[in-house]
Amino acid sequence: MSAKNIKPQDMGKPSEQLCKIENLMPLPAPYDKPGMEPDFKEIKEDWKKNYCATLDGFVANDALKRPETKEEEEEMIKKFLNGMEKLFLEDTNRGMLQPFMLSFEYCAKCNTCSEACHVFKSSGEAEIYRPIFRSEVLRKLYKKHKQGGSLVSRFVGGDIDINIETIMRLGELAYRCNLCRRCAQTCPLGLDNGILAREIRKIFSMEMGIAPKPLHESGTIKQLTTGSSTGITKEAFLDMIEFMEEDIYEMTGKKYKVPVDKKGADILLIHNAGEYMAWPENPAAFTIIMEEAGLDWTLSSEMIGYDNVNYGIFYDDVQGRKIGAAQLKAAKELGVRRIVIAECGHAHKASMVSQDRIMTGEDNIPRESFLPLLEGLIKKKVFKLDPSRNNFPVTLHDPCNIVRMMGIVKPQREILKAIAPQFREMTPHGVNNYCCGGGSGFAIMNSFNFTDFRNKVSSRMKFKQILDAFQDTIEDAEIPKYVCAPCSNCKGAIRDILEFYQATAKFNVHYGGLVELVVNAMVDIEKPFLEFLRDEEDMMF
Amino acid sequence: MFLTLFTYFSILAFIGLSLLKAYEYARMPMHGRWELYPVPKEGDGRGHYGGSYYEEYEWWNKPRKVTHAGEIVDMLKEMLFIKNLFINQRRQWWVCYSLHLGIYVLFVWTFMLFVGAVTELSGTPVAATAGVWGSLVYYVTFLAGAAGAVLLTVGAGGMFLKRMSDSTLSRYTTPQEYFNLLFLFAVAVSGLVVWSGDPGFNYGREIMMALLTFSPIQADTALTIHIILLGAVMIYIPQTKMSHYVGKYFAFHKVLWENEPNLKNSYMEEIVRDALSYKPKTGTTWSAPHINPGSASKK
Repeated sequence: MSAKNIKPQDMGKPSEQLCKIENLMPLPAPYDKPGMEPDFKEIKEDWKKNYCATLDGFVANDALKRPETKEEEEEMIKKFLNGMEKLFLEDTNRGMLQPFMLSFEYCAKCNTCSEACHVFKSSGEAEIYRPIFRSEVLRKLYKKHKQGGSLVSRFVGGDIDINIETIMRLGELAYRCNLCRRCAQTCPLGLDNGILAREIRKIFSMEMGIAPKPLHESGTIKQLTTGSSTGITKEAFLDMIEFMEEDIYEMTGKKYKVPVDKKGADILLIHNAGEYMAWPENPAAFTIIMEEAGLDWTLSSEMIGYDNVNYGIFYDDVQGRKIGAAQLKAAKELGVRRIVIAECGHAHKASMVSQDRIMTGEDNIPRESFLPLLEGLIKKKVFKLDPSRNNFPVTLHDPCNIVRMMGIVKPQREILKAIAPQFREMTPHGVNNYCCGGGSGFAIMNSFNFTDFRNKVSSRMKFKQILDAFQDTIEDAEIPKYVCAPCSNCKGAIRDILEFYQATAKFNVHYGGLVELVVNAMVDIEKPFLEFLRDEEDMMF
Repeated sequence: MFLTLFTYFSILAFIGLSLLKAYEYARMPMHGRWELYPVPKEGDGRGHYGGSYYEEYEWWNKPRKVTHAGEIVDMLKEMLFIKNLFINQRRQWWVCYSLHLGIYVLFVWTFMLFVGAVTELSGTPVAATAGVWGSLVYYVTFLAGAAGAVLLTVGAGGMFLKRMSDSTLSRYTTPQEYFNLLFLFAVAVSGLVVWSGDPGFNYGREIMMALLTFSPIQADTALTIHIILLGAVMIYIPQTKMSHYVGKYFAFHKVLWENEPNLKNSYMEEIVRDALSYKPKTGTTWSAPHINPGSASKK
């Protein structure tokens, strides 16, 4: 079946693969030439046998296994239907009932949302990625379940097969949306297909216990038991801080003592713990900034106090609430005045927006983004900065959670204008930005062949934007180019596309956070802070 | 007298069922924040570029700057002009807006029929050649009725045809959604038939006078069919997703633009406190092992 002619009703029809992506959105130069882009990898037979590869040939949900017996199959369908009913109940879905019901009930199916969706557009407009496709499957399933196969049911749209194929494919399809909510911005009725994708994820996780392992088993479960989704324990964390202090000394010649568990500090700074492992230069840059500014700050080594990650907001309300409460508890025990969230987009939203409705009184410790704090320090000229140290093309990626979902738009731009003379915007940007393609957990979901989907489809629009932003210099490999992404998950997704398309190796395109650029511009620090500039300097000598 | 009673009933049903719908949404529990920027009520010009109070250092210590004017302007743009569709789906906007504008203009027409009926009941004739007031009421009623009927007919018929002929739209259109458009189209066409026999809408003022004096409506077959179809659609609309005039308010004001922070000693803190004290009524819970270990161990 052509990728463009599929209907929601086809979800339950048996076929080896419902949709095959055929006409990917073209990329700009130099990726407009043949051979510049790696092909999709073939899917293995045992993945097909054990998981759900019948949607589009990708497997995102590595916990969604095919039932082995008829009984298991019936049990799975029954659980799904039970879970679906719970979305409509006050007792089980209080926290999302109103937004969910509005989007469930009122969609006029005008398709305005489709043009806004980067996954749909990047895939060459494959029908299954149209934002209303999965929403319509859910509506049809609910109507069919409530009204059976009657004429009335078919009249109102309950014309879909409730079978294991529909449910398995829907379980996969819930993970083809980045929950970036760009579609909701364009809806004339103010409705949100993102929330419906997330509610489907909730059925699978909260009722059936099925969620991608990187989010659940190695994500929230690990975070709640060890303190971090990375598995870093308190002891390991303290060791890493010591190593980081040594690294900073080696890089800058400056000795800083990182404050940990300082009672009554003004600021508790919480990083995405993945930064300590994947990008230690980011917490190092924060340390330099906080210390040079003379701020009264601390890190926490208490349970969950050193990891601002909260994958619960992607798929499971209960996990989200548990982690949020634990983070606030760590801050309360330290007696800090406020929490500052470092460069992690979803942590910003989880901590400042989602948790805003779960705490009151003294437990509700004020939380803010690092961005206005840093903007204030730069405006007050607390640091001696030399923008010419960042005199190469820089573009800014807007993390959806920080920008579209929180309205923090200007501070990061003010900072970049002060430190990066060749700063240029992506098109579009600000609240109209495109997702990096790693949103809602995709950045850490690397099972089977899902990385192909991410790199070639969900991150494709971002890669196009990056190439467009650097069109004046992209083919000049002598000139370094920097994608500033002040979010761990976005950085992960951008790291992967630059590697996948060999954009760093071939065209000298780099990525990193915002604080690294600030420290790189500090006059008091002799050597370049950015690794690719250090490498360049080393090569010169 | 049946038509008079039926008309009263359909008006009351439309208002009552719409209010019931609004009540059902209004009484839903406080939900988690799910705002989306731009939020037009954000002050200091932030509403325009999508900024929020979170852009301020120590935002919780700063006065909250809200501009309800910004919110109202944005709301009116969406209500009166369907702005998002205009920007993002211009080709579809023409027929969709024709339908909606037709309905708005017909509300004006209904109001003018009321004005005309009161005028006539007070002894002043309403006609093309009557005095200044009588002819003004006549012509405004005529223009509103003519424009509304044509726009609604074109809009409902056009949307039906568009949904049928566009392969993407037809893929997602349910039989009920076609029926809804046909129902509106039928009401509009029956209205055009009646109007063709009485271009001055005198029948409309007579119906309004009958309603105001609670007396029988005099109607021939065409008018009877029109009144029954119009009444039926008014009873039907609030029970379907055509009641999006209710949903749209909640979707924008209570979800996308609801970003009131939960500050210490604020009214929002009271709401949150109340919500947190809720005790489940049914005992129904989610069943996954990580949420309800008891259910897993029982198995």
